[in-house]
Amino acid sequence: MSKFEPILTEYIKDEDCHTLSFYKNTGGYTALKKVLDKNPDNVIEEVKSSNLRGRGGAGFSAGVKWSFIPKDTTKPKYLINNADESEPGTFKDRLLINKAPHQMLEGMIIASYAINCNTAFIYIRGEFYKEYQLLKETLAEAYQAKLLGEGILGSNYNLDIVLHRGAGAYICGEETGLIESLEGKRGWPRLKPPFPAIEGYLRCPTIVNNVETLSCIPHIINRGAEWFKSIGPEKGPGPRLFCVSGRVNNPGVFEEAMGIPLEDLIFKRAGGIPDGKKLKAVFPGGSSSAILTADEAMDVIMDFEDLVAKKSMLGSAGVIVMDETVDMVQACLNIARFYAHESCGQCTPCREGTVWLVKILTRMVNGEGKDSDIDMLLEITDNIGGLIDFSKESFGKTICPFGEAVAWPVRSFIEKFESEFRSYIQEEKVLA
Amino acid sequence: MPLLKIDDNKFEVGKGKTVLEVAIENDIEIPHYCYHPSLEIAGSCRMCLVQIEGMPKLQVSCNTFIGEVPPARKVDGKYDMVVHTKNELVTKERKNILEFLLLNHPLDCPVCDQAGECYLQDYSFKFGNAHSRFDEDKRVRPNENLGSQIVINHNRCILCTRCTRFTREISGTSELFVEERGYNSKIAIIEDNPLDNLLAGNVTDICPVGALLSTDYIHKNRIWNMKKQPSVCQDCSVGCNIDVFTQKDKIIRITPRENHQVNGYFMCDIGRYGFHQYENIERITSPLHKSNGGFSEISWDIAIKEIIDRLKTNGSKTAAIASPFHTNETNYMLGRLFHGLIGTFPFMEDKEITYPSGFRISGDRSPNKQGMYDLCPQIVKDLPSKIKKQNIRGIYILDNGIDIELDDIWKKILKTMDFVVVQSYVMTSLSKTADIILPGLSPFESEGTITNDRGHVQWLRPSLPTPGDGRPDWEILNLIDKTENRYVDLNDLMKGLGKQFPSYSDISLFKLGEQGISLSKRAKE
Repeated sequence: MSKFEPILTEYIKDEDCHTLSFYKNTGGYTALKKVLDKNPDNVIEEVKSSNLRGRGGAGFSAGVKWSFIPKDTTKPKYLINNADESEPGTFKDRLLINKAPHQMLEGMIIASYAINCNTAFIYIRGEFYKEYQLLKETLAEAYQAKLLGEGILGSNYNLDIVLHRGAGAYICGEETGLIESLEGKRGWPRLKPPFPAIEGYLRCPTIVNNVETLSCIPHIINRGAEWFKSIGPEKGPGPRLFCVSGRVNNPGVFEEAMGIPLEDLIFKRAGGIPDGKKLKAVFPGGSSSAILTADEAMDVIMDFEDLVAKKSMLGSAGVIVMDETVDMVQACLNIARFYAHESCGQCTPCREGTVWLVKILTRMVNGEGKDSDIDMLLEITDNIGGLIDFSKESFGKTICPFGEAVAWPVRSFIEKFESEFRSYIQEEKVLA
Repeated sequence: MPLLKIDDNKFEVGKGKTVLEVAIENDIEIPHYCYHPSLEIAGSCRMCLVQIEGMPKLQVSCNTFIGEVPPARKVDGKYDMVVHTKNELVTKERKNILEFLLLNHPLDCPVCDQAGECYLQDYSFKFGNAHSRFDEDKRVRPNENLGSQIVINHNRCILCTRCTRFTREISGTSELFVEERGYNSKIAIIEDNPLDNLLAGNVTDICPVGALLSTDYIHKNRIWNMKKQPSVCQDCSVGCNIDVFTQKDKIIRITPRENHQVNGYFMCDIGRYGFHQYENIERITSPLHKSNGGFSEISWDIAIKEIIDRLKTNGSKTAAIASPFHTNETNYMLGRLFHGLIGTFPFMEDKEITYPSGFRISGDRSPNKQGMYDLCPQIVKDLPSKIKKQNIRGIYILDNGIDIELDDIWKKILKTMDFVVVQSYVMTSLSKTADIILPGLSPFESEGTITNDRGHVQWLRPSLPTPGDGRPDWEILNLIDKTENRYVDLNDLMKGLGKQFPSYSDISLFKLGEQGISLSKRAKE
């Protein structure tokens, strides 16, 4: 395999990389020009055959998602750019917004054109205030350059983009929670079916795509689906922004081809673990993914299928590294606390179960653990989100995947580091 | 039509129905909390999870729609869907959900008003665990007033959101919402918009647990000590179907009863709390005779004899007043007895209120104006001028039972009368003008039929016993009937009524049952 050259982040080191003129000078908006002469269906086909899979976490095929938009409806259609990046350990969309906003915008316009939508939204995480300000400028530039508004680049295609700030809830990154929030309602995920492609924003057909997913689109149009498919594993190809954080010498965002070994990411790109400590465990795809032990981590490539085979997931590609000094019970409590805090409270298992986990883990950490607690914790995770086993019919007990998002990592901590949990109980270890 | 299999039962079902709907229709119990047939599907309690063959996860039956599948995908070559509601996986899942719901629940059934009609109790009993595995501190929150008559006990709330959806979808007033997030979520109002709309009381009925309580009923009684009588509300011309709960001759509470031709699932607070207006009234329980400016008790025999004598002497010079507050049978009897002039007192009209869901509170606050006109077609419009013209000297009045001041015209007329009979259960300013008062029954004591403003005839049933010497109003008129055609009982009367008024023919209490009969529908058929 030839050495991978960054595609999405090629120009991020340049000071003006976020401006329209810079983007245009480096070949920006040529894909859009190409697309405006094409039949929208051909655009969908191109993206479908590229096997581009969603970069937000679920990894669903973007082109297939687009093709779900009904053709015979008179309802308006909407595109929503999910920029509510809030998965712990994930900070790639923020980089793309800051450094290549026009790349993302071009992807949005192409996607909107493909699904025949005239109003699109950017739902940006509320905490991203600087990025919000920047995007306001980006949109203004685009309107002025006739890249947005009526008659885009002299065609008869019209598109308006609305920038909307979230109000600080993890669950609003879930596409239907996001849609509810965008409608001005409480961010409670919706029951599916119907899926957003059939009934989304204002009950109209809606596509929700992640920032990174949309940023890939112009490149697929420019260089073709075959080129895209040639990068990394065929079933889930393309460039990917990996966020490496935690106990590494050189944390940050690294653009690599899909399928890079996790070992290379941690030890080559992120510079390995400080102070010569040993690797203990890794979240491969954000805090919702089941953790991998050091041995498992050394034996996995960053690919959708390979991680599912290891009973984890690629998720948002947020790699969180833990070294041997990390207390796994404390880390587990930390994760459980986050999810208990962010649970929207709609479904019974998640609302009640997450806090139950926290209460038991807190008791454990305070030296009041009981022998039965470990089985209890495992059973509660089952009852909230089910086993990490897609072959069994016992997962998916809540409206949205939040149940799994808390159950799987917590369960993996206990299963893989049970002795540490046991020692908390036996030694009645009290942390200062 | 899709072929559905639920456990061992097979059904051909209409397209677009959900698994839960079909189960409910066929008495297959799938426990549920957030689902309510009048509200949008929430799917959040997760209690109704079932296993559906071919689907990777358990599905909430409330949001699983049944449709036809292509032949290749049919189960066993014929079923469009095969549902399991009792297998190990589903049973275990129900236990888990109930365990979650009870973690922070106070388990205070002994002092909870919902006890005995609580789905948390019932489902725990049927599907839950006998013991708790929760060793942690419970979430404890104080009760709060959501409106002047609604209290919430947050500790019992299971956040099914039926109440919030009710105020959004049925009353359209949107007072209730979920505040906070996750574990701290709770049902709330904003201070300047309390839950005080006229449908507010319904949230206490649709609450499946003991969280939402009516201050009118809180800690008053136990459900198993009360007698439940299905009847009809008489506080407006809609005629909402109700259940009247009594104990020892006292009404304790009223709740709406389902009738999709009339009120759906709900009732308004005017009707719900209306029974209190009869609690402290000056009740008449014996025939009364005016003497020395006051009234003295007389026997029924003397009263009836005197009235018959006076009517005979007066001949056609007696007028009668029909009443929309009396049953069809009573008004029919009045029309049958008085061939001469019949009229009514002026009506009071309020503003009609219609809610987004279609539920309405009629501006006509009498229960039976339609029936009165149907069965007393001879009612004249301007009775006062006719009385004057024809020099009428006697009048027989069915009292509305509402103490309002009559206008000057009527006051003057009543003064000029030689003989005034008032049939009333309560001492009103009108009954005080009578020479003889005959004690009828109050609304919750009467039996008979009433016709609502859309022509729906319903069975009014007595919830309270007859006090003292009071008699059913139709029976009083029957006593005055000097002919040989007296009716034996209410059914006999209804038969006679039907003969004279064909649209009411063949209506019996038995046929009316709990849902009533629509006259317009009958006419079409």
